[in-house]
Amino acid sequence: MTDVERLFRTYNAALVRYLTRRLGDRDWAEEVAQETFVRALRQTSIQNERAWLFAVATNLVRDEARKDMRRRKHLALLAEEERDAMVEPEETTLERAQEAAMARKAIDALVEKDRLALLMREEGLDYNEIAEALELSPGSVGTTLSRARRRLVESYEALQKSQEEREKNAAS
Amino acid sequence: MQHLDEGMIHSWLDGALSADEAARVEAHVKECPQCAAAVAEARGFIAGASRILTALDNAPRGVIPVAAPKKRFDPLVWRVAATVLVVATASLMLLRDGGEKAQNATANTDSSGSAIGSSAVTGIAPAAPNADEAIKETAGPTSTTARPSRAAAESKSPTTKQDNVSVRASRPSVGSTEKGIARGVAADTVTGIQALAGAVSGVAHPGEKTSPASQPKITARENEAIVDQKSGVTTGNAPPSSGYAGAVAATPLAAASQVPPSTLKLRGVMSLDATRDQLKVVGTPRTFGAKVTLYEVAPGDTVTLREDLSLSLSAVVVTGAQAAQPRQSVEKSAATERAKRADTAVVSAADSQRPVEALRSPVRAPSVAAPISRVEVADGVTTIIWMDATTGNTLRLSGRMPEGRLRQIKIRIEQERTAAAAAKQNP
Repeated sequence: MTDVERLFRTYNAALVRYLTRRLGDRDWAEEVAQETFVRALRQTSIQNERAWLFAVATNLVRDEARKDMRRRKHLALLAEEERDAMVEPEETTLERAQEAAMARKAIDALVEKDRLALLMREEGLDYNEIAEALELSPGSVGTTLSRARRRLVESYEALQKSQEEREKNAAS
Repeated sequence: MQHLDEGMIHSWLDGALSADEAARVEAHVKECPQCAAAVAEARGFIAGASRILTALDNAPRGVIPVAAPKKRFDPLVWRVAATVLVVATASLMLLRDGGEKAQNATANTDSSGSAIGSSAVTGIAPAAPNADEAIKETAGPTSTTARPSRAAAESKSPTTKQDNVSVRASRPSVGSTEKGIARGVAADTVTGIQALAGAVSGVAHPGEKTSPASQPKITARENEAIVDQKSGVTTGNAPPSSGYAGAVAATPLAAASQVPPSTLKLRGVMSLDATRDQLKVVGTPRTFGAKVTLYEVAPGDTVTLREDLSLSLSAVVVTGAQAAQPRQSVEKSAATERAKRADTAVVSAADSQRPVEALRSPVRAPSVAAPISRVEVADGVTTIIWMDATTGNTLRLSGRMPEGRLRQIKIRIEQERTAAAAAKQNP
């Protein structure tokens, strides 16, 4: 097994999940993950593999987002409207879709640094790896994560509350 | 111990603290109900955030269309483009070299031919080399760029005809066709330069020794020649000894011996000019088909001397027809033909006094000096173009400075080149 194969088998699932959560699109996430591993091929040596992979993937997303941010915003809006208008036959699927939509809104409400730190932590990166990937000081990662978690949960609960009120109003 | 801040609590819960720090936090949480509540809240946030993020895994595919991969140029395209560029550049250099030389050579030939018409003895020899040069160079394309603005400005000048030797060209030469006025500007004396400047612009430079524009002094070596194509009459009030471009002294020393004392005095003044002893070579960048030398004339002020080497297509490519035709016969016939076409001539006294040996010297002999120079100004850069009498190569001296100063530098460079050539012949 080559180094790239080992890297791929070890980190691909976590990286794709991180990117999917970050981007909201699995195809795009897989594409960025593949590009990240291609970049890893060109590196002679990587000190901290996981931190390096997540940092490169984050930068790829950022660069890509800079290029055609307007187009992506437009498409994201369309996708959101489509999700909101989507009517699923099964109630459980609808609930899941609503949860996903609210989660997306909540995560998108975070500032970039908080969002990325939280997503990386969810993929098991330790504080030092997060600090390295995001170029933060290790001592500030705890504060960043606590702020991100609080805001994410509060934002999500607020969305949940407004959703419940809409459903009540619709029922009445 | 103070109450724990939220970041510390999350760090502790995430296992990011050292053993000592973790023990202290743990002990404090056991004793502090407020911090214990904060820890409980933090556990809730961690679990809640993780659950929310899990919901994001239910992401649809294809929300964002995948960007098409960027097309890259085929390396073959780059190779072809590079080849075309190299060929085009080389061709341009060769054509320009040929055009410039043909222009200068034609102008010289005209003047030489003029000399033939009035002086059967002295006219043949100087005509031959120039005619040879012309016939060689005109073999290539001789298309030149018209400069209507300059031609118009000079032709409109009211004092143009009264200040210099003006010769009607019965046959428009390449150079004169191009500009309307074939101007060979003398660079060796201040008088010639200033007379021209005064005639063209009507503005005399204060503080410099100049002759009145109406009575310019033209030395034998460097002179002013304005060819008016419209009429066929030779005009001008310059004395015969002032000479014409085709009848001049061979070397600067020889020229100095033939100029009036007043001119020599001025030249001596010029020798003390600031440009002297400050001219040093600061670079010789490599250039195809030319020798480029950078001179520093003042701190931070440089001029560029470009010597186009005698590289023409006919010199590097020999066709079957060319090989079959004897070269000497071509040159001779060309010289004869040019001599026949010259129907107006001005011959200087200096030319008539030229030694017979010098007149019979081979092609490009030093005795056939008298390079006719012309001046171009573009984007603040003044360029003097002339043909080196010794080598026959076209020289271009460029610099961001007034024409007068550039001419002074040109004189200095010519002197150095002459000295270097002499040193090379007699090491």
